[in-house]
Amino acid sequence: MADTTKAGEPTDATPNVSGVQVVEAESEEQAVAALDEPVERGEPILQVRNLVKHFPLTQGILIKRQVGAVKAVDGISFDLYQGETLGIVGESGCGKSTVAKLLMNLERATAGEIFYKGQDITKLSGRALKAVRRNIQMIFQDPYTSLNPRMTVGDIIGEPFDIHPEVAPKGDRRRRVQELLDVVGLNPEYINRYPHQFSGGQRQRIGIARGLALNPEVIICDEPVSALDVSVQAQVINLMERLQDEFNLSYIFIAHDLSIVRHISDRVGVMYLGRMAEIGTDEQIYEHPTHPYTQALLSAVPVPDPDAREHRERIILTGDVPSPANPPSGCRFRTRCWKAQDKCAEETPLLAIPERFKSSDSPAAHESACHFAEEKDVVHAA
Amino acid sequence: MLLEVRDLRVEFRTREGVAHAVNGVTYQVDAGETLAVLGESGSGKSVTAQAVMGILDMPPGRITGGEILFRGQDLLKLKEDERRRIRGAEMAMIFQDALSALNPVLTVGDQLAEMFVVHRGTSRKDARARAVELMDRVRIPAAAQRVRDYPHQFSGGMRQRIMIAMALALEPALVIADEPTTALDVTVQAQVMDLLAELRREYRMGLVLITHDLGVVADVADRIAVMYAGRIVESAPVHDLYKAPAHPYTRGLLDSIPRLDLKGRELYAIKGLPPSLTRIPPGCAFHPRCPMARDVCRTDPPPLYEVDQRRGSACHFWRECLDG
Repeated sequence: MADTTKAGEPTDATPNVSGVQVVEAESEEQAVAALDEPVERGEPILQVRNLVKHFPLTQGILIKRQVGAVKAVDGISFDLYQGETLGIVGESGCGKSTVAKLLMNLERATAGEIFYKGQDITKLSGRALKAVRRNIQMIFQDPYTSLNPRMTVGDIIGEPFDIHPEVAPKGDRRRRVQELLDVVGLNPEYINRYPHQFSGGQRQRIGIARGLALNPEVIICDEPVSALDVSVQAQVINLMERLQDEFNLSYIFIAHDLSIVRHISDRVGVMYLGRMAEIGTDEQIYEHPTHPYTQALLSAVPVPDPDAREHRERIILTGDVPSPANPPSGCRFRTRCWKAQDKCAEETPLLAIPERFKSSDSPAAHESACHFAEEKDVVHAA
Repeated sequence: MLLEVRDLRVEFRTREGVAHAVNGVTYQVDAGETLAVLGESGSGKSVTAQAVMGILDMPPGRITGGEILFRGQDLLKLKEDERRRIRGAEMAMIFQDALSALNPVLTVGDQLAEMFVVHRGTSRKDARARAVELMDRVRIPAAAQRVRDYPHQFSGGMRQRIMIAMALALEPALVIADEPTTALDVTVQAQVMDLLAELRREYRMGLVLITHDLGVVADVADRIAVMYAGRIVESAPVHDLYKAPAHPYTRGLLDSIPRLDLKGRELYAIKGLPPSLTRIPPGCAFHPRCPMARDVCRTDPPPLYEVDQRRGSACHFWRECLDG
C-alpha cells in the first residue's frame, strides 16, 4: 500500500518537502531580505514537515546514559496559510505545547523541518534567525506567570524593542507602548502600573500587546483563554479576531476547548500522542470526522443543551492515554480504539486522504491517519 | 429535604478589608437529586460548599449568619465532634485536584481503609478488603494489586476515581463535588462524570455539583443555582433555565457560548469584570455589567423573586429577561 509504512520504521526516512518552495539564500542579507517579503493571503507562510521532538530519559547521576525517550512530537506535518487560524486540539500530553515551542524555536527539533517563507528556521542562525523571531510571536496560557511581577506594564510591552530597536526608535517607545495598550482595549494611562494591579483578562490583554509589539506575521497562541473566567473568555476571543483582521495576522491556536477552537479556526488539526490524527477545515473535522479519536473526542464534549442529553450518542473511551515514553506500535490510538485490528498494530497509518474518499468531493475527503477511516457524524447526533 | 441552606453569609478578613464571599445563599437539595451550582471564580460557590461541609478555614473566614439544615438539623449549632461524625459518613466531598487532596505518603489502600476503621471500627484486615472492593466499584483495573500504590502512581483520571471511591465509601446521603472533572481531559471527564452519575443513581444520593461549565451542567444536573458575587441570582430546573433564562447574567453566560450558526461573527461578551468581594457594588451586584440596568438596580438589591413554583430570579426585571 502506498500510504503505509512498516511499524517501527521512522516516518521521516523519506525527506518530505512536498509543497514547499524552498528558498536557498546564499548570504545572510539575502536570507533576511527574503524573510521580510510579504506573503499573499491564502499562500502558505509556515510549513512543518515531519517534525520530531524526543526528550531523552537518562539514568545515573555522574555518568548519564540515555535509557529511552519521551516521544512528545513524533513526525507531524502541516501548513499554515497567511491570514488563517489553524486550531490544534488534543488532550494533555499529546504534544501540542511542544509543537508551539518548536515553532518558536524555543526547543531544538530532534528531526524535521519548519519552513517559514520557504526557509528552514531550524537551521537558521544570526540575523536571519533574529528576523524570524521578530515575525513569529507567542501568547501564553497563564497570564499570572508569563508577566514579570517586578516590571511595569510599559517595560513588559516595550521589552521586545530592546532586542529589536529597529522597530521602534528609543524616543518613540513610550508612545508606541501606549498605542499598543489602546489597541488591546486597556487605558494607555496604565503604562506605569504593575501586573498585580490587573485582573486575569486584563493581564492576558497585556500579553497580547507584548505579542503584537514587533508587528509579527504569525502568532502562536497556547491555550490563551483557558485560564480566564467564562464571561471574560468571549472578550479576549473577540479581541484576538479583531486584531487578526486589523494586522493581517496568521494564528496557530492551541486549545483543548473544542467549541472555542471551532469558533475561531478556519482549519483544525487533531493531535494524539505526538502525531496528527486528522486535519481539515472546521466543517470537515466537526461535521465529518473520519478518525475514531476525533469522533470520540467530539462526542465526549458536554453540550450546553439539556434537551440533547437523552438522544446523544456518546463514545466513552476506555483507559487512559498511553505514556509517550512507550507508545503503542503502529497506530498510537489502537489501544483505546473500538475498531482496532491486527493491521493497526503492524502498520502505522499515514496522515493522508483515505483511499475510499479520494475520488469523492464529499467533506470526508480530508487527511486522516486511520486504516479504517469512515464518516460518523457525532455532533449532529446531539 | 436532605439539605437546606438558608440565607448563609460568610466573610473573610483580608488586608484589603472584609471580603463578602457569601451574601445570603439559599438552596435545597433532595435525596437522589443533582443540583448544579454554577459560577465564576470568586462567586462564592466553593466557600458555600466548605461551610456546608464544615471545613471552612476560620479564621480568616467567619460565618456571620444563616442556617445549614441537614435532615432538618442545623449543622452550625453542632459541636465539632458531632459534625465530624456526620462528615465523611453522611456527607462527603470530592475535590477538584485529587493529587493535592490525597495524602502522598500513604497508599491509596490505607487512605480508603481509614474511612472504615475510623467511622465504623472495622478491623484493619476487613477494611483493606473493603478498600479493594471500592476500587473495583469505581473500575480501577487490577484493584487488588493497585491498592498498595501511592497516589502519584495513578493517572489523573484514576486518582479522581479514588477520590470518588473515598467519598462514597460509607454511602453518604449527600455528596458535594467541587469541579470534579475540571483538571481532567475531555475523554476522561466523560468517563468520570458517567461513573459519578451511575453511583449517584444506585445509592440515591443527593449531589451538589459545583462547576463553571454550562456543558457539564446540561449533561447531568436536575436543577441549577447560578451564583454571582456571593448570591444566588437564578435558580431553576435545568431545562427551563437553558430554554429561557430569567436573569441577565445567566442570559449573558448562555449567549457567550460559541455557537455554530454564529461562526465568523463576534461572540456575545458580558462587558466588564466580576466585582471585587471587598467592594461589591450597591443595589444589584451585577448592575455595572448589565445591559438592562436602570436606576432602581443601582440602589435596591433585588430579592429572589418567585418566577414560578420551581424557579426564582434575583432581577427586578426578570419578566423582561424571560421574554428575551
